[in-house]
Amino acid sequence: MPKIIYNHADGTHDVVDAPAGTSVMRAAVTGGVAGIVGECGGQAMCATCHVYVRPERLAGLPAVSEDEDEMLDCAAAGRDSERSRLGCQLFAGEAFDEIEVDVPESQS
Amino acid sequence: MALDQELSPAHSTRSADWVRLDDLHDDPYPVYARLRDEAPVAWVPAANRYLVTRYANVHHVDNDPETFSADETGSLMKRVMGHSLLRKDGASHARERKAAGVPLRPKAVKETWTPLFRRNAERLLVEMRDAGEAELVSQFAAPYAAANLRDIIGLPEVSPEDLTAWSQAMMDGTGNYADDPTVWARSEAATQAVDDALAEALPRLRANPDDSMISAMLHAEDPLSPAEISANVKVTIGGGLNEPRDVLGVAVWALLTHPEQRTRVLTDPRLFSVVFDEAVRWTSPIGMYPRQTTREVELGGAMLPAGARLGVVVGSANRDPRQFEDPDAFDIDRPRKAHLGFGSGAHYCLGAWVAKASVGQVALPMLFDQLPGLRLSGRRPVRAGGWVFRGLLDLPVAWDH
Repeated sequence: MPKIIYNHADGTHDVVDAPAGTSVMRAAVTGGVAGIVGECGGQAMCATCHVYVRPERLAGLPAVSEDEDEMLDCAAAGRDSERSRLGCQLFAGEAFDEIEVDVPESQS
Repeated sequence: MALDQELSPAHSTRSADWVRLDDLHDDPYPVYARLRDEAPVAWVPAANRYLVTRYANVHHVDNDPETFSADETGSLMKRVMGHSLLRKDGASHARERKAAGVPLRPKAVKETWTPLFRRNAERLLVEMRDAGEAELVSQFAAPYAAANLRDIIGLPEVSPEDLTAWSQAMMDGTGNYADDPTVWARSEAATQAVDDALAEALPRLRANPDDSMISAMLHAEDPLSPAEISANVKVTIGGGLNEPRDVLGVAVWALLTHPEQRTRVLTDPRLFSVVFDEAVRWTSPIGMYPRQTTREVELGGAMLPAGARLGVVVGSANRDPRQFEDPDAFDIDRPRKAHLGFGSGAHYCLGAWVAKASVGQVALPMLFDQLPGLRLSGRRPVRAGGWVFRGLLDLPVAWDH
């Protein structure tokens, strides 16, 4: 099963096994991972599932869509032009089999 | 029956017959606090619904639309406005939301609408400034929200006064549980007036697309029908006016009554965005919305039958001490945590970015900048009201001029 590793600012991390088709946002919200809110339920409308993808995991991810790009500019924590993504737009089994992300300190 | 604590919680339908609608209207928060503690999912005869009052349960309901449907049977909103996206689930909701939402995304808000918000605010402030005092809800917050809304919707010929009257008449209709024929007559006249305005606007916008919501719905990849556009315009007139009006009034009142926070915000105007967000949490403009169960389900210790009508009480969830420390306090320094003032999940408020910009980035800074010494006038008491929708009813203010 695809694996998602969430690294937190305090040095701790969560590891979630996500069934194929589950987004990085949904896996965090249902798995009780702190720091990912997903206010809008995955419509790229709220920017509260912002994550920084670890550089070594960027290869093979789908391109940032226009809607996602617009929303990343609204994220509470600063956008990283290379690493910032919305967790709701990255789907296990489609975008990755294993991914490691850093969770921003703030989402709102 | 009083609170039924004798049955095992998982199998009881806990009834709270002590809840009175008048108390909810005047000050719902003590009622919510008792419900959260004693019966977080309670049958409330006065509201004819199960009220869901804890943050965790509200969040759960928002994120399980298959069990907790927005498509309520016998909905007065559907009767008054037609079947809008607000009362749809799944693919049909997503399709309409996608079409209607294009002009409400952050880029359009920033580039297209924010300059217009500034013009609308400036015009009203010029009209008010020399008077030295005003009732801020009716003289600024409501006409400001209405002027912004008519341009975003795409009905520029409609006066803000008409839009405000239609909004109120339709909202009164959606709450007309007493079946008052006078209320029906008013809401029907308002919906007819909206349809008349649409009859003029649709051919114009079909031929000449612009940045408005109606134009977006007409020219979407999967265009909406005139009936779908009509229902969605009506629900937008209903909701798009109350919420920015009410959060603006509440935010001004909060700053006028919390001088230390006001001083800091005036020193660092970027904090107006935090003021806006905290005002939405503290006194959520949409306090309650309906859902209906599609199957028997346990929620918050209560067993709900299929077809149960719920009232999802965001106004209570956002004051739940299980989620927010000292939740009754207005505090711009509280740790940032997600609140549910815009809802969550598939129905997350489509107008959230419009509200953030129009209230948090434009109206609040302009008001405090252009009305020096803004204060409560003391001529009349400040009045707040409502629980389904909550805001200030009377905010008499004065300033130096």
